[in-house]
Amino acid sequence: MPIILENVSVFYSRNTPLEIAALKNVNLRIEKGEFVGILGEKGAGKSTLIKLFNGILRPDSGKITVNGLDPSSKKVKSRVGMVFQQPADQLFCRTVYEEIAFGPLNFGYSKKETEERVFEALEAVSLDRTMLSRDPLSLSGGEMQRVALASALALRPDYLVLDEPITGLDPSGKKEILDTLKKIKEKGTTVITVTHNLKGFFPLLEKIVLIKEGRISFQGSRKEYMETENVPLPPVASMMRELRSRGVPVNPGVFTVEEALEEILRVKSMMEKEKAEKHPEK
Amino acid sequence: MIRLENVSYNYPDGTPALRNVYLAIKKGEYLGIIGRNGSGKSTLSLHLNGLLRPRKGKVMVKGMDTGDYSKLREIRKIVGIVFQNPETQFIGRTVEEDLAFGPENLCLPPAEIRKRVERALAETKLEKYRYHSPKNLSGGQGQYVALAGVLTMEPECLVFDEVTSMLDPASGEEVLKRVKKLHEKGKTIVYTTHNLEELHSADRIIVMDRGRIVLEGEPEKVLSDPYLRDLGLTPPSLIELAENLKPHGIEIPWEKTSSPSSFAEEICRLFLKT
Repeated sequence: MPIILENVSVFYSRNTPLEIAALKNVNLRIEKGEFVGILGEKGAGKSTLIKLFNGILRPDSGKITVNGLDPSSKKVKSRVGMVFQQPADQLFCRTVYEEIAFGPLNFGYSKKETEERVFEALEAVSLDRTMLSRDPLSLSGGEMQRVALASALALRPDYLVLDEPITGLDPSGKKEILDTLKKIKEKGTTVITVTHNLKGFFPLLEKIVLIKEGRISFQGSRKEYMETENVPLPPVASMMRELRSRGVPVNPGVFTVEEALEEILRVKSMMEKEKAEKHPEK
Repeated sequence: MIRLENVSYNYPDGTPALRNVYLAIKKGEYLGIIGRNGSGKSTLSLHLNGLLRPRKGKVMVKGMDTGDYSKLREIRKIVGIVFQNPETQFIGRTVEEDLAFGPENLCLPPAEIRKRVERALAETKLEKYRYHSPKNLSGGQGQYVALAGVLTMEPECLVFDEVTSMLDPASGEEVLKRVKKLHEKGKTIVYTTHNLEELHSADRIIVMDRGRIVLEGEPEKVLSDPYLRDLGLTPPSLIELAENLKPHGIEIPWEKTSSPSSFAEEICRLFLKT
């Protein structure tokens, strides 16, 4: 069953002079098993949107259902795992084991069942069992992020919701998390992530949702995204788009340095050939 | 303006964070610092106004030693730091109060405090959020509050410690524009980041690895150095593309690699000329 939002609006500081509409009449459907990226500028409403998915926030108007249920019901809470931007904010136990076991114990699973789930979650995020006795706050940024991920996974959620999971990590830490998420998604979990790092996430995303000033300004596939005007792109992709608009016949959809190199060289040799045919004497 | 002489520092558990670092930061300079997590960038930044003091060696700010407690107040008026996570430095209940905290501590007269707060609010375009709680603002706005808070101290040197890493590209760019403007106004800027693209217009870049400075030079030289990859850093993608095009006879001059549009313009010029 999907997550369905119908005409959802959320206001902060409602009925005060400081009232701000964070989301305005949002309609969105996220299918099970998808890898969804939520993009948008600061204050666009991205974090507000994902807080609706497990009932941390409730819409002021409109309706949201997760698996057909109200997201604030306990049944839904264990189906939607959340990982926030600052993993340190959600790690509060003395050891990694206690941290990952916290969710399952809280939902009343037996010690044995909990242990099984801890090991399973640990494996899913490729952490070693020797980690279990460490203090979570003594770990590196990438490791902390994976512990936060594991504690969400220990509830075997249908949906894994993440807020900026790779910001603040260096390139190797980023790659660790991206590889882990890819694996989790391949096992059938729906992964929904807020991100600014289009370059890192783009190859993984099956659906892209762009939010602008509280409204959804684009939703669709990667391919559709690349063909849409006025959407944020990383430097190489936007350079290639500009080349096209200036009349250099490069293909759309180029994203990486390697692709761009290949494409520029292809067009160069093509143009040289054309020139040679037009002026055979030269 | 700031001089580090043979500075070493260990984390509380004994791991060395800085090893024998020598560095001189000139007045009005825009210095970029890059390096992966744990390379010592932040530790170095915290040494610049005495928030951390070296275990060995010394840090001098305009001739004052950060190890001299009687000088710390003066040093912190000169060097202000903006951190990665602005929430760690919020104190006031409202944005206005938060901004007034620094100058209040300097025991300035109320009229002067008001003037400085207004100026900082205007400079960061935060006027309409003055009565909001800084904790309820979005990440980008929060970063502006932190920046405004430092600006009210009117420091000569501003240190930015990975300030854009939590922001979306558009607001990151805005913050970066502010930083460049401050530099144009004559402020000394020290800017640490993971995102090498941001350092195109720095005067000088140093690269840190395991507590040491391992590369140093102009952006043009440092950002295209193949050694960066060995250090776990990704060179800016447009510079990488330019480097890759070179062996195929397509030369993109350095200035043109600063933005997608100038890069595209250059390729068009090369391709479409007849």
